[in-house]
Amino acid sequence: MKTELNSMKWHILIIIIVCILIIPVVFAVSNSFKTLADAFSNMFNIIPANPTLENYIHVFEKLPFLQITINTFFIAAIVTGFKIITSLLAAYAFVYFHFRGKNLLYFVLISTMFIPFTVIMIPNYLTISCMGFRDNLWGVILPQLSDALGIFLLRQSMRTIPRSLIEAAYLENVSDFKIIKDIIIPLVKPALISTGIIFFINSWNEYVWPVLVLKSKENYTLSLALQMFISAEGGTEFTIAMAVSVMTMLIPLVLYIIFQKHIINTFTMSGIKG
Amino acid sequence: MNRISLKKQNGDNGRAYLYILPSLLVFAIFMFWPLFRTIYLSFFDWNMIKPDKKFVGFENYIELFQNPLTYKILGNTAAYILILLVINFVVPYILSFILSMMIKKGQNFYKGIIFLPSVISLVVGSILYMWILNPISGPLAIIAQVFGVTLPVWSKSEGLALVVLSLITSWKVFGYNFIVVLAGVTGVSQEVIEAARIDDVPMHKVFWDIILPMSSATGLYVFIITIVQGLQYVFTPIKVVTQGGPNYASSNLIYHSYHEAFVLYRTGMSSAFSIITLVLFILLLIIGFKLVEKGVYYEN
Repeated sequence: MKTELNSMKWHILIIIIVCILIIPVVFAVSNSFKTLADAFSNMFNIIPANPTLENYIHVFEKLPFLQITINTFFIAAIVTGFKIITSLLAAYAFVYFHFRGKNLLYFVLISTMFIPFTVIMIPNYLTISCMGFRDNLWGVILPQLSDALGIFLLRQSMRTIPRSLIEAAYLENVSDFKIIKDIIIPLVKPALISTGIIFFINSWNEYVWPVLVLKSKENYTLSLALQMFISAEGGTEFTIAMAVSVMTMLIPLVLYIIFQKHIINTFTMSGIKG
Repeated sequence: MNRISLKKQNGDNGRAYLYILPSLLVFAIFMFWPLFRTIYLSFFDWNMIKPDKKFVGFENYIELFQNPLTYKILGNTAAYILILLVINFVVPYILSFILSMMIKKGQNFYKGIIFLPSVISLVVGSILYMWILNPISGPLAIIAQVFGVTLPVWSKSEGLALVVLSLITSWKVFGYNFIVVLAGVTGVSQEVIEAARIDDVPMHKVFWDIILPMSSATGLYVFIITIVQGLQYVFTPIKVVTQGGPNYASSNLIYHSYHEAFVLYRTGMSSAFSIITLVLFILLLIIGFKLVEKGVYYEN
């Protein structure tokens, strides 16, 4: 009885933390379906009394919103695809081959995770401008075609595959391409999926680099479009900003809810040294 | 034995370089080369547009260290690090301990929800909190009014802006750190903990003498990413909410590099600031590793 009471106390503490984290999201969804007047006069009604779609309609009228969503999706999809392929190949080399400078190379690649973006920001901006990709989606994509985190996570996962399996394949002179396609990919599928989803979500939410590269509205991503509705006073466009927020959150949240277990497992793995 | 046979069958390991090449190319062009180019640029006076750069030697660095603003920004950076560490390193540690010791039911449910904000854009987070914490019309202000309290205009107040921006960033960072720390803490052998509890070792001692040293590798990782990634994540709310203001009070090293480069167009100064940031990060990494080494030694 005493222990039960005790554990109750901790449950309450955790629930308070959960509420602090979740309430903003609930508010955003609720306000996006309210008129501006309603949002201010009935602030604490989570379920709107007179739900309206006018904020969403307004967004599509004011902005090339479909284009902006497609841009965001295009960047995230290409970045994710390339990151997965380049990371998978590199991880394969690091796990199954012995070559000179292997450890040093791995260390150098992984340490890039700790380089602050400001250190590479100006030269990359110059490079992209020089290539003619300023205000172009490819300008956002190009610097992100590989990722140290991907190499790290996929290497971790590949190391759990029994070596004998790969050795047997080598004995049979199976090509690397077939080994990757028929043995590695099926066995590391969970890690592959969650790494891909993490990349996709991160790219979808990315703000810093796109804000430097993209200038015109029709090239914006969702995060940049959202920024247009910000004013320190809350502003007259507050409920519209909430509608854009909801649409920005939608895809990452759906992906997260579907693949929650995979994602949490992979992230848990990322903290364990290997 | 295994290794030798694998090596033999592989024949030429040169193929390995071929598989690493795509990643290496991307890193070389967009990571390593820019790193050296930034070091190079930090010795020049340039505005990104003029065709010719003027070599100034260490002048940018000298100016940087003579400018009182630099110390304000360094102080802000330290304050950000401190707040981010308390909320996203200390609290997750204690919470993980509680969750792993006291709460057996519903762990996965809590994990799932606590992680949720990590997948949401920080621009969204910034907008949401700007509204919730709006000192005049936000919900928190309305609740505070009932109790006769007026919220300060935090975005215009020197220390407060920084605190609120740290809170917004923590909203996103907390969940990820929490599940990683939780994995480390639950990874500590249950037998050791049970043995300690049978001997009536008080809880805080179990935490301090068993959990902490035995999860130090995970702890170090979270400690480092809280600083390295946390400071970079703060960039978004700073840019969205205060632009470093009022009077640079919410700027940090990362935001200031951006400000020098893309607002003031002083490429050399910006580069000098970012190189200083990199050096600080490296120092922190070394200190972190030394601390953990000591902890592990202590454990024996």
